[in-house]
Amino acid sequence: MRVALPKPLEIHDLTVAYQQKPVLYGIDLEVEPGSLVGIIGPNGAGKSTLIKAIMGIMKSVDGYVKVFGDSSRKALTRVGYVPQRESVDWDFPVTAMDVVLMGRFGHIGWFKRISKRDRSFASECLEQMNMLPYANRQIGNLSGGQQQRVFLARALAQQSDLYLMDEPFEGVDAITEKAIVDLLKNLRNQGKTLMVVHHDLSTAKDYFDHLALLNLRLVAYGKTEDVFTHDLLQKTYGGKLTVLSEVGSRKLNEKQPTPEAL
Amino acid sequence: MFLPIWKKLKYMLLILVLSKEASVLKAAQISSESDKDWINQAIRFWTFTDPSIQIIALGAILIGINCGLMGGYVVSRRLSMFGDTLSHAVLPGIAVGFMFSQSKNEAVLMIGATLSGFLGVGIISLLKRHTKMKEDSAMGLVLSGFYALGICLITYLQQSPNGGTSGLESYLFGSLVGLSDRDLVPLCFCLSLIIICFILLNKELLLSGFDPSFARSVGLPVDILQFCIWILMAFCIVSSLQVIGVVLVSALLIIPASTAGLLTYRMSQILVYSGILGALSGIVGCFLSFMGERLPAGPVIVLCSTLLFLAVLFFSPARGILPSWFRTRRRGQRIRFENTLKACYQVLESRSFSSQSFPQTALAQRRGKSDAEIEKEIGVLIREGYATRQEFPTEQKSELPSETMVSLTPSGWEIASRMIRNHRLWELYLTKEASYAPDHVHDDAEKIEHVIGEKTVRQIERILDNPQRDPHGKPIPSQDDIDRGWLSPPLVADK
Amino acid sequence: MLDFAEALLDPWSTREQVIWNLQIVFMGMMVSLSCGLVGCFVVVRRMALLGDAVSHGILPGIVTAYLITDSLSIGPVWIGACLAGLGCGASIEWLRTKTPLREDAAMGLTFTSFFALGIVLLSLEAGATHLDPACFLYGEIGLTPLSPKLELWGLPSGNQALWNMGVVCLTTMISVIVFYRFLLVTSFDCSLARSLGMPVIWIQYGLMLLLALVVVASFESVGVILVLAMMILPPVSSAFLFHRLPSILMCCLPLSIFYSVAGLQLAYSMNFPISASMALAGIVIFLPCCLLGPNGGVLTNSKKLKTRKSSRDLSAN
Repeated sequence: MRVALPKPLEIHDLTVAYQQKPVLYGIDLEVEPGSLVGIIGPNGAGKSTLIKAIMGIMKSVDGYVKVFGDSSRKALTRVGYVPQRESVDWDFPVTAMDVVLMGRFGHIGWFKRISKRDRSFASECLEQMNMLPYANRQIGNLSGGQQQRVFLARALAQQSDLYLMDEPFEGVDAITEKAIVDLLKNLRNQGKTLMVVHHDLSTAKDYFDHLALLNLRLVAYGKTEDVFTHDLLQKTYGGKLTVLSEVGSRKLNEKQPTPEAL
Repeated sequence: MFLPIWKKLKYMLLILVLSKEASVLKAAQISSESDKDWINQAIRFWTFTDPSIQIIALGAILIGINCGLMGGYVVSRRLSMFGDTLSHAVLPGIAVGFMFSQSKNEAVLMIGATLSGFLGVGIISLLKRHTKMKEDSAMGLVLSGFYALGICLITYLQQSPNGGTSGLESYLFGSLVGLSDRDLVPLCFCLSLIIICFILLNKELLLSGFDPSFARSVGLPVDILQFCIWILMAFCIVSSLQVIGVVLVSALLIIPASTAGLLTYRMSQILVYSGILGALSGIVGCFLSFMGERLPAGPVIVLCSTLLFLAVLFFSPARGILPSWFRTRRRGQRIRFENTLKACYQVLESRSFSSQSFPQTALAQRRGKSDAEIEKEIGVLIREGYATRQEFPTEQKSELPSETMVSLTPSGWEIASRMIRNHRLWELYLTKEASYAPDHVHDDAEKIEHVIGEKTVRQIERILDNPQRDPHGKPIPSQDDIDRGWLSPPLVADK
Repeated sequence: MLDFAEALLDPWSTREQVIWNLQIVFMGMMVSLSCGLVGCFVVVRRMALLGDAVSHGILPGIVTAYLITDSLSIGPVWIGACLAGLGCGASIEWLRTKTPLREDAAMGLTFTSFFALGIVLLSLEAGATHLDPACFLYGEIGLTPLSPKLELWGLPSGNQALWNMGVVCLTTMISVIVFYRFLLVTSFDCSLARSLGMPVIWIQYGLMLLLALVVVASFESVGVILVLAMMILPPVSSAFLFHRLPSILMCCLPLSIFYSVAGLQLAYSMNFPISASMALAGIVIFLPCCLLGPNGGVLTNSKKLKTRKSSRDLSAN
């Protein structure tokens, strides 16, 4: 009998709330290894929240997330995360090289010195993103596209198996966008799994081979050609379900003992 | 050589002690040693016959109201730490004002303090705008920098030959003892200014605080309004510094308003409540400090407002911690017996509603619980008047004990069918409208059925166009079924 | 000019004076160095005001420790202060997450209440005893040389206060060096820290503990409010000079030497309190950094913007 490999990502009945309002409601999702998934949906649909809930940055009210079959925090060491540009403190006193080296910390081992090999690996990652000439710049002194590329180089340096990217195409120039797409496909071909928050419908079809349509709940998940239909998009972008969010907030406000199964 | 330096240092230390906040400790002890009988003391305080007590009480109340009102805006605009910074930043201004006037001239000192406070605020916004410094470090920088400057200047003044410094100290760090009727004037002035501003500019301030960009788009002078708030805040702080002291002014700005924020959401009510709470803590703190032997007034007033805050936090009926803990417990009980009732319905349903009663063992089977547990649950239902129980001898004579039959009362029936109705409607809603898979909705409906409320249920029913069956094909009891009561014809016909 | 030189040399004219003042300078240096090192992380994490809050909030702990042990020995006082500081932090966190209060209000409410409680406790009890609130509340850096002499193995080995501060300073330096990577990653990018498997919460607590330790050790010397100046000034000044965290941390050492020496000189010539003059010296050095600093100074900013633009052009190619 073949033992099934654990899925890179398994989400069950995930409900996340922010300030007493549900942002995600009952999400169920299983991602196969080696898929390049685009998460799309209207503004405020909870796309970034989904990523943050997977990373454990936002606490879920209900449900669980398993990464490679493991729901503990240790599983996160196999996850590479590229944060949204706004969430980074660009005045932080670090250079591009420092940022990429941070991605290597997990491999170096805590209290050990950074070896030459790690340094050269970090340089390679920077080189791959065409950022080596800027290695010693403070990150605030880079353009938007360059900043994004530094963070992608860091993700490369992390050598993760699952990548979560929060709007990597936001505010970057065309060349960077192209570079990012190439990188994504490249990683996918290496068998990595990628989940990318994206808001541009016009390019979504070309960039990703799987799509997750999200609007408070998961409207649909599947191969792009199956999911990218007028009907489902209409459902995703066609307004909010007021009853759902109202009832959801009531559920949050009235904390209750765990329900019993019947 | 050794000795002079030591003396010099000792002298400097003495000045340091006098000039810093420690003065709060010594300054504000109002009680008189002679009168030990504290019932008499209390009567003396609360009858307000003594003119000095009148002034002290009035001052404390005025400061409480001023800071409470101002605090409403400070807290709602997230300026709490700004208030703290401002109260430290006025220090050098007071020293400079003293240098200019060479006396404790309230007007000059107040102008100096206000200007210096504004300079501090200006520096913060300049640093924020033109450098990469973040707000918190800019504020910390101004706070500690101005404070250091103020300490240095005051020390310098106290060493100068014509430094009549005792008055300056009380001005700086406050005392209720030294409060004279002249000191009440700026307080009254500040109060009337605040009230006039708040009444005239009520909606403008609200709008510009809540949504500055929208306010700008409708033509409100947001910056000028902001400036008004600064001025009022500076006046409020400066006039109260005299009585309370640097750290504690910001406390009075924050605490009553936060307490009010726990009680209500509406801005106008927050202002009223926090004014009242400020006045209350002012007068009570003042009284305690009057009664106590060595209790400094400022900290006692602050502690009073903290106690008020804690009282509201724990006991306020709407959102207090204790009441809501009790509510949660009660809700837990309710959910438990609602679940039992629902199971009763399902037992009846599985027997196609053929009889009104069912054996208790069937319920135990359904719930997957032991007989003893079910015994207890049914006991609760009977106590609450939702069910009745009868003992029936089993038909075949056997070693088994007599069968216990349970039947629901009309009110029990109503709750049971309502829960079933909520559960099934919600499952249907999730599958039909929110495109969930039918096998994923049960767990959620388990939780929602208890909280959904009649109004939303009707709304869902309308959206779904009065459905008859849930996603699993089971009939949904309608409102009519519930109203008609036990075993209504359509439901039975449906079977 | 001659007057100026005389004023400069005044504190150093005799042997006794030199020994006396060197101790003060050394104390001031260690205080501002340890404050500055912790302050660097506090500032990049945008918690500067939390530092202020903690420095006020530990007062009731100190007073209680004194009342229980009836002595001013440094150990119990530290423990009391750390407990109060942790209580303060926990209360802020609880109010922020579990009640509708915003962070700033929670902070302001907590630390002022703690401070008021401390003062009330002090004035209730201290009147009868000889605990001078001043020597604990408001800086006694000028009296450093008067602290009891320590004897190790029968040998006179210097000043108790200096040793205490030295241990704290060393602890701070070692912790910053050993945990540098943890502190760096958790400050810069919490989610990366999580995905590297770092205990983010514990590092946060550890930093707060270190902060409490440093505040307790140094506010004996410089007082509650000026401890904030010692924490904020070094990192914000050197952030205008360097663009990497290690350089900023290193820069704390020369800055702290400058603060203590210049502070002492200023205090002598103007008769200011030494701790406040140290803060003033800090402000004096902050101004040119802020205006002319190569890394984001106000006057060099326009040039920077140009380079930023040109780099953007470069990247487009």
